[in-house]
Amino acid sequence: MRAYIVTTLVGVFAIDENKKIVEFSAFSRNPKEVAEKLKRSEIEILPEEKEIAGRLGRKKIFVIFSNRKEGVKHAEPGNEFENYVRENLRKLAIQKGLIKDDAEYNKFLTQANLELTKVKIKKAVGADHLVIHAINSIDELDKSINILVERLREWYGLHFPEMDKIISNHEKFAALVGKFGTREKMDEEELKQFSEQSMGIDIEDEDVKVIQDIANQILQLYKLREKISTYIEKSLKKIAPNFSELAGSQLAAKLIAKSGGLDRLARMPSSTIQLLGAEKALFRFLHGHGKSPRHGLIFSHPLIQNAPDSERGKIARTLAAKLSIAAKLDFYNGEYKAPQMKKELEERVKEILSSKK
Amino acid sequence: MINLPKVKESKLEGIFITDGKFATKNLILGEKVYGEQFVKEENIEYRVWDFYRSKPAAALKKGLKIFPLKLGMKILYLGIASGTTASHFSDIIGSGGIIYGVDVAERVLRDLVRVAEKRGNIVPILADARKPEEYASSVEKVDLVYEDVASDDQIPIMIRNCEKFLKEGGYAMIAIKSQSIDVTKPPKEVYKQALAELEKHFEILDKVELDPYEKHHLFVVMKFK
Ligand SMILES: C[S@@+](CC[C@H](N)C(=O)[O-])C[C@H]1O[C@@H](n2cnc3c(N)ncnc32)[C@H](O)[C@@H]1O
Repeated sequence: MRAYIVTTLVGVFAIDENKKIVEFSAFSRNPKEVAEKLKRSEIEILPEEKEIAGRLGRKKIFVIFSNRKEGVKHAEPGNEFENYVRENLRKLAIQKGLIKDDAEYNKFLTQANLELTKVKIKKAVGADHLVIHAINSIDELDKSINILVERLREWYGLHFPEMDKIISNHEKFAALVGKFGTREKMDEEELKQFSEQSMGIDIEDEDVKVIQDIANQILQLYKLREKISTYIEKSLKKIAPNFSELAGSQLAAKLIAKSGGLDRLARMPSSTIQLLGAEKALFRFLHGHGKSPRHGLIFSHPLIQNAPDSERGKIARTLAAKLSIAAKLDFYNGEYKAPQMKKELEERVKEILSSKK
Repeated sequence: MINLPKVKESKLEGIFITDGKFATKNLILGEKVYGEQFVKEENIEYRVWDFYRSKPAAALKKGLKIFPLKLGMKILYLGIASGTTASHFSDIIGSGGIIYGVDVAERVLRDLVRVAEKRGNIVPILADARKPEEYASSVEKVDLVYEDVASDDQIPIMIRNCEKFLKEGGYAMIAIKSQSIDVTKPPKEVYKQALAELEKHFEILDKVELDPYEKHHLFVVMKFK
């Protein structure tokens, strides 16, 4: 015999394979408490669930939960018995005398879910600040990686100076040193001929070992960087789908960080977004030195990068205007319009570029 | 002089007509949801249903004949946002009905929470309509599913949710946004494909385009096979 444990807003049910309710433990009728319990039951076993599982166990009934979580041995999410309880919950609650009628059920249902949603909203607010830390940590990782790579190249250069020019990609450089060690062991076609006639000094195994350790650490940092980038991309899809689709996730995160949060970005005029990150140049200009800046961080956007210098200012203005709309959409409304906006933006840029000729 | 009544019943349940506009009976006296106009008659307060702000109102304005909302109905609403449209649904189904309102954006749900607290027949759910498993524990079987999410996979989202939550023979309504599904194709072509997909699961009861109230939208009312 087996029974399924199903946790609902009125309490915990155990239902057997004949769809008979064999055990039940009611929750309080306080919506806040119930919301708290439902939230907790997603991650851990509740005392009520534990008690019922214990009672079933003593009756030699095999216990199956309807969600996987800490401490659960057997779980079958979405099984037909769970569905049965959920579909008939209203009836069951009234039968058990927990709730008087439909109207009372509706009232309790609404209140409990309101509390649940409020808890979730509280958690979601400030998600942009998580992303801000993540993008800042990428900046710091880049700096660290650069310093270490520079050191690695010089250090290893004593032993194999020719390699510095041939392998210009930092990650590849670190990977080769980390894997092979001394130049004689480098199993790489393009390096072989140089390693044989290298002008570098010979070194001992223990000397090369420590250089390899540095190289491997650098690779780890690259991996970490990759992980954080993926995290940023995923988070932005949730909190700023339009903005990140138009800007690209790296640039989007940088703009959010620079402005101090999605809420502030949404309130900024597009001319400010256009110049975010160019504050120094703007300051110089306002004090009578240098030219007025045309773009800040958004300079790295492919639409500006791929345009001739003479048109970049115009494109920056167009891009900033669209980004500003996207940020407002994400913050205030939530509607996903990015594909359409992207198309409009690209068409407008085409116009700018062709009117130039 | 005869005083003509300002508000008269339409052919549809719970929907009234006043001065060429639609209106619903306000469930919560004195409460406005989105700055809509009030009309009072014989001590009953009606809320004017703005067809520029709400797609079902636009569909009715464009001559939609079948609109299956009824008193006491249970509704699953995908993409409920801050509750502009949902507030009129809430008026029509009354306090014996219930709306399960799903939206992914927490900013709009914050506004909805305020509306739901007052009305008592709206259950706000912060979740992605692509993942019905995530809200299965809050939603029961419903009589009607309405979807207004404006994403490229709005048709599969509709089908999956109906399979999970809609009663046999229940109703479904959708506002298809051609620009969201495919910007490169003309709307008519997008609609045709979408309808073909929907017809595998539903019987199409009625449909209207929403121009000029909403550009490039098709409103469809269906029955689940
Ligand atoms: C056009 S608005 C809805 C307006 C609302 N129906 C009304 O008339 O008052 C679209 C809504 O769908 C939501 N949305 C988009 N994708 C979604 C998804 N995958 N799951 C749930 N909601 C989604 C958006 O957050 C947005 O609030």
